[in-house]
Amino acid sequence: MWGFIARKLIYNVPVYLGIILIVMLALRVQDPSLTQVSKNPSPQEIAEIRSQMGLDRPFVIQYLDLLKNVVTFNFEEESWTQGGKSVGEMLKDSIPLSLAITVPTLGLSAFFGVCIALVAAYFRGRAVDKALMIFAVLGMSISYLVYIIFGQFFGAFLPRQALGGENWPFNIEGYGPLFFGEGATPMNWVSYYMLPVIIGMIVSLGYDTRFYRAVMVEESSRDYITTAMAKGASKRKIIFVHMLKNAMIPIITRVMTTLPFLITGAVLMEIYFGIPGMGFQLIGALRALDFPVIQGFVAVLAAIFILTVIATDVLYALVDPRVRLS
Amino acid sequence: MIKRMMRSRAWRKFFRNKLALVATGLIGVYALIFVAIVGAQISDAAGLTDVGSREGLKVRVLPPKWPGFLEAPDLDRRYDSLDWQLGNLDRLFRKDLESMVDPSGELESVSLAERKLADVPFSELRVMLAETNDRFEALDAIYGELEGVEDSIFFLPDELAAAKEAGDAEGIAELEAQLVELKEARREINGRLDEGLSAVEASLEDLMPMPTGFGGMVYSFRTLFGSDVLGQSISVRAFYSIKIAFQVGLVVATLSVLIGTLLGAMAGFYGGWIDGGVMWLISTLSSIPYLVLLAVLAVMFSGHQYFDNSAQYPELQLVKLYTAMGLTFWVGTARVIRGEVMKIKELEYVQAATAIGFGRFYIVLKHVIPNTFHIMFINFSLLFIGAIKSEVILSFLGLGVSGQPSWGTMISNSKDDLSNYFFWEVGAASFLMFILVLAFNIVSDALQDAFDPKHV
Repeated sequence: MWGFIARKLIYNVPVYLGIILIVMLALRVQDPSLTQVSKNPSPQEIAEIRSQMGLDRPFVIQYLDLLKNVVTFNFEEESWTQGGKSVGEMLKDSIPLSLAITVPTLGLSAFFGVCIALVAAYFRGRAVDKALMIFAVLGMSISYLVYIIFGQFFGAFLPRQALGGENWPFNIEGYGPLFFGEGATPMNWVSYYMLPVIIGMIVSLGYDTRFYRAVMVEESSRDYITTAMAKGASKRKIIFVHMLKNAMIPIITRVMTTLPFLITGAVLMEIYFGIPGMGFQLIGALRALDFPVIQGFVAVLAAIFILTVIATDVLYALVDPRVRLS
Repeated sequence: MIKRMMRSRAWRKFFRNKLALVATGLIGVYALIFVAIVGAQISDAAGLTDVGSREGLKVRVLPPKWPGFLEAPDLDRRYDSLDWQLGNLDRLFRKDLESMVDPSGELESVSLAERKLADVPFSELRVMLAETNDRFEALDAIYGELEGVEDSIFFLPDELAAAKEAGDAEGIAELEAQLVELKEARREINGRLDEGLSAVEASLEDLMPMPTGFGGMVYSFRTLFGSDVLGQSISVRAFYSIKIAFQVGLVVATLSVLIGTLLGAMAGFYGGWIDGGVMWLISTLSSIPYLVLLAVLAVMFSGHQYFDNSAQYPELQLVKLYTAMGLTFWVGTARVIRGEVMKIKELEYVQAATAIGFGRFYIVLKHVIPNTFHIMFINFSLLFIGAIKSEVILSFLGLGVSGQPSWGTMISNSKDDLSNYFFWEVGAASFLMFILVLAFNIVSDALQDAFDPKHV
């Protein structure tokens, strides 16, 4: 297994180099020094700012410098716009906030998605199944943003208007520290993060349910199901024991591949609810052309992505004895 | 060739799907609107017609944030809008309109699209306006009364609670009777206020009569979904957004399907270093979260004098959306096509073509790619949806369309409207978008069913 992981890691090195290259090249179309200088700067001032920012160095040097920082886990570089905060500090502050949204969203949507898909598969072709699938398509057709806007309205604004602020657990927006920092209580999760988690779950439920149902339907035409039926196993046992176990591989793939999408989904959620997680900071940095922050964040996000892909392959082997990591 | 394709089993299966046909029809309706708007814009730009295909979007049609059909505006909003409209007219008539050679520009400044000032001499209009203003000011007295009653109602519950605490049974009964009386009084005053407002509205209608005939029909379309914060017609802007959505969807889907098919087919057919290179590009691009990649690519254009200048070059502004999405979305198509081409490569007809001596590039173009048409179709409709949805998200992030209407700008503009219980802007935009995306979802499902039934 370790050999497999090592080989995968080596294979992904050029991919990782490519990611950083593409992002750095795309960013350098813009000239961020203009956002940092006073109005009507002299060419001298611009040149000075550029050398302060390190933009006057050749591109190759900048590229290698960033790579060196990433490899040595050196995120000391200061943000250009956040008043001397280093990229590492920003990462440290924002990652827990993002994870507080994405991890529960992922878990809940996978759990409910599989449950609903099992119900649909159990009643396959009947009214229950059809109704569920119609709901899934309807749900898929609504924009993410509309979910967030109406979710906030019906989930926080309206009840708070009707019941008064203190009688309703969900806050309209804002964030609170969860485990460390001043006034940190796990209860903050309910008041600030639970509503985004519920909305995020509802958004992905449409896609998930359809996918899981298709997986179940495909599994149900396999030979081992016929065998189990011939042996007289009950329908319930076939679906919940035999089928579910064998459908685990596509389910795991699905969960793992939605991980990066959850990070992006959290971008909108974080911006809308005012939670300064990774997405929030990244988009803010993009708007302000804050190169160190963008590059640092993308480097970390991409590394997370690549590692999850590798972890998926390893998980296959753990779940399915037929898969060999060779 | 198309005729032969249409007779194939898969297409027959597709055409038997009633729901998919209805959805195709809906997409057709949207496409017709798209073509009509584009046609009007082209002929406007060429100077053939003058329907105001761009300026018409900015025309003020109603007081700001006026609700659409079916919803009766509440008394406060009616009062505010009368205040606004009469204020505008006052400002107009303070000018010396009689001595102006051509006051039409001034008159235009108060008109609400087709609803213009009545066609009577200015002196008469001035008298009418004065009367209307008097009636409007008379409402202040009623408002004063109402405020007094509201205040008493507001404080009564506290007194009631105090009386309950003291156990004063007589006091409680008295206060409750008072409350009922006050509520009755409030209802009566509100009735009078309603009458008063209706009277002012009626005399305002004499000043600015509702358009009739064709103009009336146009006006009632414009006011169908109410108005946004600038008094612009929500319905016009929402329907115009179909053009933006279709344009973005068509260009992005075509672009990414073409790039994806070409690169995917080359990678699958040639193998070797071409395959390695394409696979490297695919894994690289798909390792960056797609929204981040979109945003990074869109930022390349922001602030550009041609590509981010909706006032002068509204079409060029969309180039950044095409680029960002085109470079991001081809990846999925390429991956699927590559897999399919690797299968097709081993089939007999490709071997036969090779044996005859055709060039490899010719075989890819002539024999391999045509056999992936169904995948291209399915991907096209999926990417179309993806493009429309991403436009909304990018516009919300401030990296997409700005300065011209699109569903994205409409939805993100109405961020604060909901807390004022104003649903029209976000409702109109998301409803039109929902129908289109739903139709595309149904069609791509049906396509998948017909061509690739085994697909999960």
